[in-house]
Amino acid sequence: MSRFLIAGVSALALLAVGCGDDDGGSARNRCSDFSTANCVTIASGDVQALINAVNTLQDDTTILLEAGTYALDRTVTIRNSGINLVGQGIDETILDFETSPGGGNGVDVIGDSFLVQDLTVANAKKDGIRVEDSDGVIFRRIKATWTRGPHTSNGAYGIYPVKSRNVLVEDSVAENASDAGLYVGQCINVIVRRNEVRQNVAGLEIENTQYADVYENHAENNTAGIVVFDLPGNPVVGRDVRIRDNQIIDNNHTNFAPGGTVAMIPPGTGTFALASRRVEIFNNVYRNNYTASIAILNGLVVDPRDSWALETSAIIGDIDDLDLPTGDEGIVYNYESTEIYIHDNDIENDGTAEINPQEFGLLMGVLYGGEPEVDHVIYDGVGETVDAETPANTSNVNHICVDQASMVVLGLGLEGGELTFPESLGDVARFSAPDLAPFDCSSFTGGPLVVPSDLP
Amino acid sequence: MKYLLALLALFAFVACSDDDPRGVDLSRPVRFDPAAPPAQKLSEHNLFAWDPTTGTFTYNDRVVPYELNTELFTDYAWKARAIYVPEGESGAFHPKDAFDFPVGTLILKNFYYPDDFRDPTTYRLVETRLLVHTPNGWQGRPYIWDEDGKDAEYAPAGEVRPISFVYVDGKTKTSTYLVPQQNQCQQCHLLKDPETGKNYQTPIGPKARHLNRDYDFGGEIGVRNQLEVLAEVGFLTGVPSDLSEVEKAFDFREIAEHGHAHLDDEALNKAARDYLDINCAHCHNPNGVQGITSNLFLNYDNTSAFNLGICKPPGSAGQGAGGRKYDIVPGYPDLSILNYRIESTDPAAMMPLIARSLEHEEATALIRSWVESLPIAEDCAPKE
Repeated sequence: MSRFLIAGVSALALLAVGCGDDDGGSARNRCSDFSTANCVTIASGDVQALINAVNTLQDDTTILLEAGTYALDRTVTIRNSGINLVGQGIDETILDFETSPGGGNGVDVIGDSFLVQDLTVANAKKDGIRVEDSDGVIFRRIKATWTRGPHTSNGAYGIYPVKSRNVLVEDSVAENASDAGLYVGQCINVIVRRNEVRQNVAGLEIENTQYADVYENHAENNTAGIVVFDLPGNPVVGRDVRIRDNQIIDNNHTNFAPGGTVAMIPPGTGTFALASRRVEIFNNVYRNNYTASIAILNGLVVDPRDSWALETSAIIGDIDDLDLPTGDEGIVYNYESTEIYIHDNDIENDGTAEINPQEFGLLMGVLYGGEPEVDHVIYDGVGETVDAETPANTSNVNHICVDQASMVVLGLGLEGGELTFPESLGDVARFSAPDLAPFDCSSFTGGPLVVPSDLP
Repeated sequence: MKYLLALLALFAFVACSDDDPRGVDLSRPVRFDPAAPPAQKLSEHNLFAWDPTTGTFTYNDRVVPYELNTELFTDYAWKARAIYVPEGESGAFHPKDAFDFPVGTLILKNFYYPDDFRDPTTYRLVETRLLVHTPNGWQGRPYIWDEDGKDAEYAPAGEVRPISFVYVDGKTKTSTYLVPQQNQCQQCHLLKDPETGKNYQTPIGPKARHLNRDYDFGGEIGVRNQLEVLAEVGFLTGVPSDLSEVEKAFDFREIAEHGHAHLDDEALNKAARDYLDINCAHCHNPNGVQGITSNLFLNYDNTSAFNLGICKPPGSAGQGAGGRKYDIVPGYPDLSILNYRIESTDPAAMMPLIARSLEHEEATALIRSWVESLPIAEDCAPKE
């Protein structure tokens, strides 16, 4: 009889597995799926076991979290190499920091060869998953979220690799962050693909990062969709970033950032490249990003020149071929945006620029208020001589290349290191295809972009 | 004879291993094998005894207590520090960096509270953190004390618990006290070697400028300079014979007792910079693994006004900016992110990131006065 019963239960279990596969949600990860030397399984919701485990790890260990919610009152810290932190799927294994009294990140990692996979991190006080100063980092099928929806008091970053090398972020979700949902900061060699970012202030940010391929991501209903920029003072000078084959849709969310540079982003921004060089933006779909689909901006729009000074001795990564502006002995500046190539994007924008309090948004509102559609590419023109009468006589010293239906150069200027805004629309040059000269170039001065095709 | 001693020690070890709690016996030496895994009970190391009615610690031979001029704030917890250096070994003095103590060194820090700061009747020992020099480098090990205060258990997961006490003003304060988990030791103790790019753990307190002060060692030693005593017992070599050559950090006890209103500008600046140094610069220095990103360097010897935060926009402070634009706006603490973050008790905004849930009122007042005293900087002063 008991044997019969067992057979029956087995049959049921088989059936259950079959159903599980059908609904496609759960991952059913096992220790045997991972090649690490050690594997620790954490029972569903056993917070103490999880925190004990991460603090007594040996290198080269998989931590396998059973499905369930882990109500954490502390950061999950990892400081070993070769660690896999693996759950049973997005929304199946949930690390929830809602009741965590201490500050801090959800998952906080320093350690080479780190993998996080198949889990959700919810309601972290600061960053959802922060991986810092590590080489070989994979985020795969995870979600970082704040469950009350967009809110100023939500944590800053959802998925946050920083100061790391060889980083892969794929098939993941980041939502409701009060700064950036998916934020790659100061990294070298990066692939970001097939992720979904929604209802963040900035959906997907590539900051001070070298050699990045960002493709097949979906950014919807953020304040800004997918952006690339340098911040002042960070020792990695951004370069060689490719943004392609992404969907960047309806990024018109109210800006709910509590402060900082990101609070300056006007709602309705698809993509901008700010203080960036060697960036290629192509084959993306832009729909209804009301302020601007693609903007090219000088870093002085957000911060004064002095703050952009970098000591060459402190710089990490390659800059020798970048021809950055120099200052006193041993000082370079990275506020300029140069060598930007924008082509073959599918852009439709049914809205018009909305008047909003941010300076740049205001300018856009003045420029385009009442017009049916904003120009597809907006270039601030800092450093250029703008000829509104004969646009083709406008200079292109920053080597901006554009192959899109329309473009505007705003004629922002520099006086004594201070940014000046155009006094009248007479300082603005507008371009329509096919007459895009002098911006009709189609290559980078220093040769093709270098981005990783695969990571070790 | 030596053989016999070793045998006795071994016998004691075995005989006691079933006892719970094992207890400390100060007639026997310290037990610490730097290559062994962490002891499960703190008493296994036989480091000190303590008396919860008087709050006094009695240390074993070769365990030398010390204190710092200005110390890290941990929700007003009292701290008792001591160092053990193995027989026949010694550390090397350095004028600026943490002293280079040999493998086998054990540094301990007790965190405890009196029930009433004005007139203590009992004391509660919460945790003891060990920082041990193993063959693989320095490692932190947290121990949490039993309710009855008899022994402490190895607690790599740390703990969060409420602790109430009556402060000097007669008011009850309640800390959401965090015993850091073992990995969190690195949040403060991890530095990057600028030459190799490798990260390593290091002690913070045992530096010349923090230890250069008198301490009442009691007994025959009495009140003596700590550096002199460490040199005399052989724990440190290379201590200058003339201690006036050695830097000395500000003694925060003066502010804790008398406030800071009486300080002249030079003393105010020193007090503030030294407070920021010990409370912030373990991350906020050019080699702080988790602080580099901020570009805010609060080490006392940083000479760059920009990196000190003067008119510096934050890197990615998010919530922590509190809507303010610059790390420090000279003359305006209410516009300075630095003041906001050290005054805040909002977990998403406050600094330091961990191990603080209360405002250090005496210190935040000091830092306010310091920011007020800084010369107005046109670049970021509000336009009126």
